[in-house]
Amino acid sequence: MKLVIGYLYGDLMNIYGDTGNIIALKKRAQWRGVEVEVRNISIGDRLKAGDADLFFFGGGQNQQQELVSRDLVLSLKGKAIKSEVERGVPLLAICGGYQLLGEYYKPQKEPKLPGVNLFPIYTVASHQRMIGNIVIRPISDIRNLTSELVGFENHSGKTFLKDGAKPLGKVVKGFGNSGEDKTEGCIYKNAIGCYMHGSLLPKNPELADWLIEKALEVKYGKEVKLKSLDDSLENLAHQKAVQRFS
Amino acid sequence: MKKFLAILLGKIIHKLTRTFKTGGGSAAPGLYALKVYPNLVEDFVKQIPKNVVITGTNGKTTTARLLDHFAKTSTLKVIRNHTGSNLERGIASALLSNSNFHPGGVRLNRADLGIWELDEAAFNSVAPKIKPDIIVFLNVFRDQLDRYGEVDIVVKKWCEALKKIPANTQILINGDDGNIVKLLDYCKGKAQKFGLQNYKIAGEHHKITAQKLDLEAVNIKQEGLSENSFQLLTSNINIQLPTSTIHLPVPGTYHIYDFLAAFAAGFNLGCDLEKMIESLKNFSPAFGRVEKFNFNGHEAFIFLIKNPAGTSQVFSTIAGALKKNDRLLLALNDNLADGTDISWIWDVDFEQINQSASLRKHEVSKQSNLERLPRRYAPRNDVRIICSGTRAQDLAVRLKYAGFDPSCISVENNLKKALEQAKTGLGGRLFVLPTYTALLGLQKILTNLGVKRHYWQEE
Repeated sequence: MKLVIGYLYGDLMNIYGDTGNIIALKKRAQWRGVEVEVRNISIGDRLKAGDADLFFFGGGQNQQQELVSRDLVLSLKGKAIKSEVERGVPLLAICGGYQLLGEYYKPQKEPKLPGVNLFPIYTVASHQRMIGNIVIRPISDIRNLTSELVGFENHSGKTFLKDGAKPLGKVVKGFGNSGEDKTEGCIYKNAIGCYMHGSLLPKNPELADWLIEKALEVKYGKEVKLKSLDDSLENLAHQKAVQRFS
Repeated sequence: MKKFLAILLGKIIHKLTRTFKTGGGSAAPGLYALKVYPNLVEDFVKQIPKNVVITGTNGKTTTARLLDHFAKTSTLKVIRNHTGSNLERGIASALLSNSNFHPGGVRLNRADLGIWELDEAAFNSVAPKIKPDIIVFLNVFRDQLDRYGEVDIVVKKWCEALKKIPANTQILINGDDGNIVKLLDYCKGKAQKFGLQNYKIAGEHHKITAQKLDLEAVNIKQEGLSENSFQLLTSNINIQLPTSTIHLPVPGTYHIYDFLAAFAAGFNLGCDLEKMIESLKNFSPAFGRVEKFNFNGHEAFIFLIKNPAGTSQVFSTIAGALKKNDRLLLALNDNLADGTDISWIWDVDFEQINQSASLRKHEVSKQSNLERLPRRYAPRNDVRIICSGTRAQDLAVRLKYAGFDPSCISVENNLKKALEQAKTGLGGRLFVLPTYTALLGLQKILTNLGVKRHYWQEE
């Protein structure tokens, strides 16, 4: 089997540790004998159905985020990503990437930046810096997830869920989407958006495996159950973080 | 009167912190003295004939230490914030510990040169107060985004701050760093660029335009963990350079930048070129920066790690030197001074330690290159690694994903116990890589074991 990871704007959107998620996906697939290719999909590139089996979208600096926001519309990649997600292709978007995939982002002074409309969410800039370790309890029905998710958030945008939006989890410790409603992240089909850096996937291997399984299932049209790995170091890091921060 | 009280208060706190060994007295005295007398830095610094400000993400302390060393060859009396407290309070502390009460009031002891390290953020408010004769811009890398903000913003603020700097200030700038060369557009006065032959630091998505360098290190050779050797070239600068090969007794290509910056500052201050180079023979690196010590009869090294770029450089330096039976002790803390977000360890190119020398050519790895390099190596299992600090578990995971065999990785949050583990059965050398507060802890432990003196006594 082969897995193509589409790293959306990987050259521009890779703030603190985003690449750690790519490393985790890649290694965990390879350890199962799955061949992996990471494809950077960036400004000006075209995106067709089937180009990637799994998407990752990280955060960026303000300037880069604006560039990317325009390109998502101009190159029609936003639309392509949305229709891929509709047919079940999994996606993980963190921080900036999460915001851009919502309905819109409203900066402090400038006009709204339209988003991709994939997640039923919108984000409003604020003066509050929401920063620190975060622990959430998943409330969405991701079959592998048996315990909390741990990460580190650093954002001032407040994200609000629209009616019918499913949050990824409930905040145990930290701010989450808006710092107001105790929700964190959003899940739509097999796409997940959230504010959790950390990096997220290495310390939450169940989530990494869920993304890989979904990607392979959609690609090969059959149920995939990855063989289990010795995750003692990963679990140790996970438990330690839960214990220290929640 | 305020001045008098401020100095008195600062001196009392200094005495107390030293007596009770709560710290090196490097920040607290200045902090309180500034509260009483906010103009302390401006007022005292202007009594010093020449002042040099050094800023950048990595290399400030080594550069300051080198310049101090060079200045001493010209018998200049130096004041500096030498314990790495590079905020205004650190400067205030240094000033007040170098001042005394006289019948007419408080006066700074005689000094010829002030060397001031300022961190990326403190630079903007403090450098204009100092009105320096020379400013050194070393580099900007991603570092503690929770504290400094994004790289672009750091540089933008520096550009603003430069507008408040007098035109007669000599600017020295790393011409290889694509992030900061745009500062040149904001220099009102003279600027000189230093750099390395055929070497560019990948910036944050900025095109790296080749800069004509005024001072260049050429024919660079790294001699294991003992030194760098190279020659110097100049253009546009009218100085008679020694033609001999320079031996910098510190490993790591990145330290050549620190040398070039200090050397350029030195000749702009009128130090003798031959003497500066000659003095390198007895230069020893700064606190925790490639510090060498004897650990139970074994050779040991400390390399401070702070951010992805610096840590990748440290790794590229030691990767080639690691031998069977050597051990690594990595200590990652998440205190405020270390940065509370430890995601950055995923941006460190730990993978390079598993690569053969021929593949280790890219010094500062670019994210986009990450996937192009072949990365299929058998897990490295000949070097034992002990992970310590508050985030030891996260480090262990990072190393596993970088290709180290998990059976060679152990986890011990307690630094003292981790050091014990490293000692038991050590057959080769020990490489200790701590983050900032872990380094402070480590120094304390080593002192208690009789290995090292308190760092503030080293100067």
